[in-house]
Amino acid sequence: MDEVKVGVFLSDCGKQLSEILDFDTLIDYVKKIAGVSFIVRGSEFWRGKGLQSIIDAVRDGKINRVVVSESLAKLSDVKIVEAVGKAGLNPYLVEVINLEEHCGWPHRNTPSEATEKAKAMLLAAVERAKLLEPIEELEFPVLKSALVIGGGIAGIQVAEDLADLGFKVHLVERKPFLGGLAARAGRFFPTDDCAICIQSPTTDVKTITHTSRKCVYRSGFSEIPNLEILTNSKVIGVEGVLGNYKVTIEKKPRYVNETKCVLCDKCTAVCPVEVPDEYNAKLNTRKAIYMNIPNVYPPAYVIDQNICKFHECAKCVEACPTNAIELNQETEQVKLNVGAIIVSTGFEEFDASVIKEYHYGDYPDVITNLELARMIDGFGPTAGKIVKPSDGKPAEKIVMIQCVGSRDRRWKPYCSSICCMISLKHAMLMKSIYPDADIAICYIDIRTTGREHEYYYEEAREMGIKFVKGRPTEISRDTQANKLIVDVEDALLNKILELEADLVVLAPAMVPAEGTKELAEVLGLELCEDGFFKEYNAKLRPTETKLRGIYLCGGATFPKDAPTSSLHAHSAAVKAAKFLTTGKIIKDQRTAIVNEDYCGDCEFCPVTCPYGAISLEEIGEGHFVAKVSDILCEGCGICVGTCPLNAIELRHSRPDQMQAQMRGLMSVNGTSKPLVLAICCSECGHAAVDSSGMAMMQYPANVRIMEVPCTGILQVHQFFEAFRAGAEGVMVVGCKSDGCHYEVGVQKAEKKVELAKILLKEYGIEPERLGMFNMIFIEGNKFVEAAKTMTKRLEKLGPLQLMSGS
Amino acid sequence: MDSAKGHKIIGSELSKAVSDRLGGETLTRCYQCGTCVSSCPVARITDKFNPREIIKLSLLEEMDEVLSSDSIWLCCSCYSCQERCPQKVEIADVIYAIRNMAFEKGYIPNIYSEFASAILQDGRIVKISKFVEQKRSSIGLPPLTPTGVDALRKILSATGFDKLQRKEEEA
Repeated sequence: MDEVKVGVFLSDCGKQLSEILDFDTLIDYVKKIAGVSFIVRGSEFWRGKGLQSIIDAVRDGKINRVVVSESLAKLSDVKIVEAVGKAGLNPYLVEVINLEEHCGWPHRNTPSEATEKAKAMLLAAVERAKLLEPIEELEFPVLKSALVIGGGIAGIQVAEDLADLGFKVHLVERKPFLGGLAARAGRFFPTDDCAICIQSPTTDVKTITHTSRKCVYRSGFSEIPNLEILTNSKVIGVEGVLGNYKVTIEKKPRYVNETKCVLCDKCTAVCPVEVPDEYNAKLNTRKAIYMNIPNVYPPAYVIDQNICKFHECAKCVEACPTNAIELNQETEQVKLNVGAIIVSTGFEEFDASVIKEYHYGDYPDVITNLELARMIDGFGPTAGKIVKPSDGKPAEKIVMIQCVGSRDRRWKPYCSSICCMISLKHAMLMKSIYPDADIAICYIDIRTTGREHEYYYEEAREMGIKFVKGRPTEISRDTQANKLIVDVEDALLNKILELEADLVVLAPAMVPAEGTKELAEVLGLELCEDGFFKEYNAKLRPTETKLRGIYLCGGATFPKDAPTSSLHAHSAAVKAAKFLTTGKIIKDQRTAIVNEDYCGDCEFCPVTCPYGAISLEEIGEGHFVAKVSDILCEGCGICVGTCPLNAIELRHSRPDQMQAQMRGLMSVNGTSKPLVLAICCSECGHAAVDSSGMAMMQYPANVRIMEVPCTGILQVHQFFEAFRAGAEGVMVVGCKSDGCHYEVGVQKAEKKVELAKILLKEYGIEPERLGMFNMIFIEGNKFVEAAKTMTKRLEKLGPLQLMSGS
Repeated sequence: MDSAKGHKIIGSELSKAVSDRLGGETLTRCYQCGTCVSSCPVARITDKFNPREIIKLSLLEEMDEVLSSDSIWLCCSCYSCQERCPQKVEIADVIYAIRNMAFEKGYIPNIYSEFASAILQDGRIVKISKFVEQKRSSIGLPPLTPTGVDALRKILSATGFDKLQRKEEEA
């Protein structure tokens, strides 16, 4: 390896910083550090002449390590690293520090102390820079194709977006027909249009697509080039990593050839098997060969394999004029190779029959909102008439009950967020069909947030729909009169009402679609406590998951109305397209690396890694070592902190680099106060320190800042190393306990701090010398407070007494 | 809102005191849906008792109104409300907690006061009357013997019940 030649570039920030720090002293000091061969003082180094001086020094071969002191390190960092890379030096041989926000500003009242701290910071940076190693960039292929799981309103839209953008899209739907829950809902709020109406895709040449919207089946959706629709199909296996997933799909036979079927209805006419139609809430019957509603996709019948008598009967085969029925079709396994996966599996109604006092499933005239939607739908089982399922007579008195199983700690504690609007929509539709109908909605709270939603509530009242503020305790039945009685207290009247009803409509909680848990396991995705898929970050990445390459949209993350599902679908499409479009992932190797000589057969790191980046590989008989996937590793170092054998390191934060930095920071004190090492994570912890500096808040110069990728990287012995290096106190500054950018890192650090405190006590060191602090960017004041408190605490404790050899 | 009428609303004197007591912990979960009321057999026959209202008044810190009211003593402890409450508010237990507070403040209906002194004296809630004795012998039951009232007194003194009761009697 070449001789190390460090170039140090000191920015006085337009001579503002040199009013505090004594730059002549600093330059004299740096000159004496072994390995420093080039020093430049300037007013800025992240652009212009300053940046050019770095580039020239690198190009001329004067230096092969770069240390820069600049203000706002985070931003200048990018420019400098990029320029150094272009000048021909590995960009990871650059160390940028921030003498402004981390030293000059916060210690402006004690300039000589600040200058001494700056010396320590520069020594730490140079020593660390000397140990830096080049880090390579890796390239991984990304297939320009996507799998969309779930063909409801969200899945259809995300598939259309991606296919329109030119990606190959496979849309997989578990049911025999597209549409999902949305299609069964009949009509939507707040647009009052058909649920199965979608925007015409841009490839639809028949119409002016910007303004056209049509039913799914005639929208031209199915004819989008690049789009393949697999119905009656289920994802059963996913292997590989982002950019290159190998997917196995089980495609159940339809027994009807989609290309031959002409929808003449002759097969259903002759089919002798008849069962209650679950699509229509069992309010009518269907045959073993059937379609849900006439306007579905694919336009072909399907045979229910659980009830069809197949060759025993085969009447449909004889009746079919186009020979479309193929009873010998078998289950197929379809293998796909895709770059990204989008999950749009949606939600369904909670099974209200578990709430015994409402007798759903027991009294036929107690139905759910979705069942009512089928009745209201002109294609539904009653062709738009509202009837009592028990006797088929018109329902004149209707009571609707909100929050059935939702907002209920016994079942689903959350508010499903859309049921108030669904019930209002249904009440109004019923009232417009039967103006004389007597409709009451029993509610706990009416929630109509969203544009135009409140008008529904307003209009419902104008239409004469009654509102009872109370949750009914029970539904009972008068069998003689065939009437239902709903017992409810109107809390505004302080009066118990017994509401007579022909039909009671429940608004059940919305729960994850059937098979959600199973799919989560196949994909390796996490679910929230409520059972829905967990998004990566509700604020910033609502449609992304912890696994890059897998996206979520629509009701898969929580119940949503149609407008929100659409938004979500388009967002997921953009995120996926952003990822797929380059055809490759370029990722540097700032990742973990395993020393196989030390690594031995434990399972700590693969279990701890939040990204599933570590697997165990057998290298000898029964001997396993950890393998890190460079594409999955996020470079946090939680594995490093977990490894009991020091067998794993981060390439960009090796133990010797960290140690050198630590020693540098503790090398000079220059204040009368005890030295404190504040080990900050690169996310919230470091940001809080930055923000205190930006706001020019003051804390004593004995507090020294050391940045690590995540506090999860820390090992207990490093706290002892800090004390040995001269620290009299150690602060660990990380994100909030539940806000770690690497999921669990800060929690690991908290545990290690607790453990280290016990050990410190054993060694006769006061445990209070070590402290864990959690904060976010805007809490610069909290950092200042913590730094002051720690300093005072140490002053009270007196000098640290280290036993020799400890 | 410290209005002229003396309504409190702001503050947490009563709601905190109830929540801190055994059985009262779930008070603040209530969202006033009224399932308890329509489940309640007492509320069905008299509008003097409304469990939802007791909870609402407690949450609005109406200390005197709650503790001095007769209604808190009307709960028959059937626990129907508790079974059906969607927020798992332990309504009957909350009412017990409130009764205990009322008792400590000296709000106690005579009948309960009588029960309490009867327990302290005889170990029975209902005093043994001649009528009861005659009735028993007429159907061949043996006469009632004294209960282990000494043991009971020990328990009642350990729980502080006797002191409370005495205070009540003095008052």
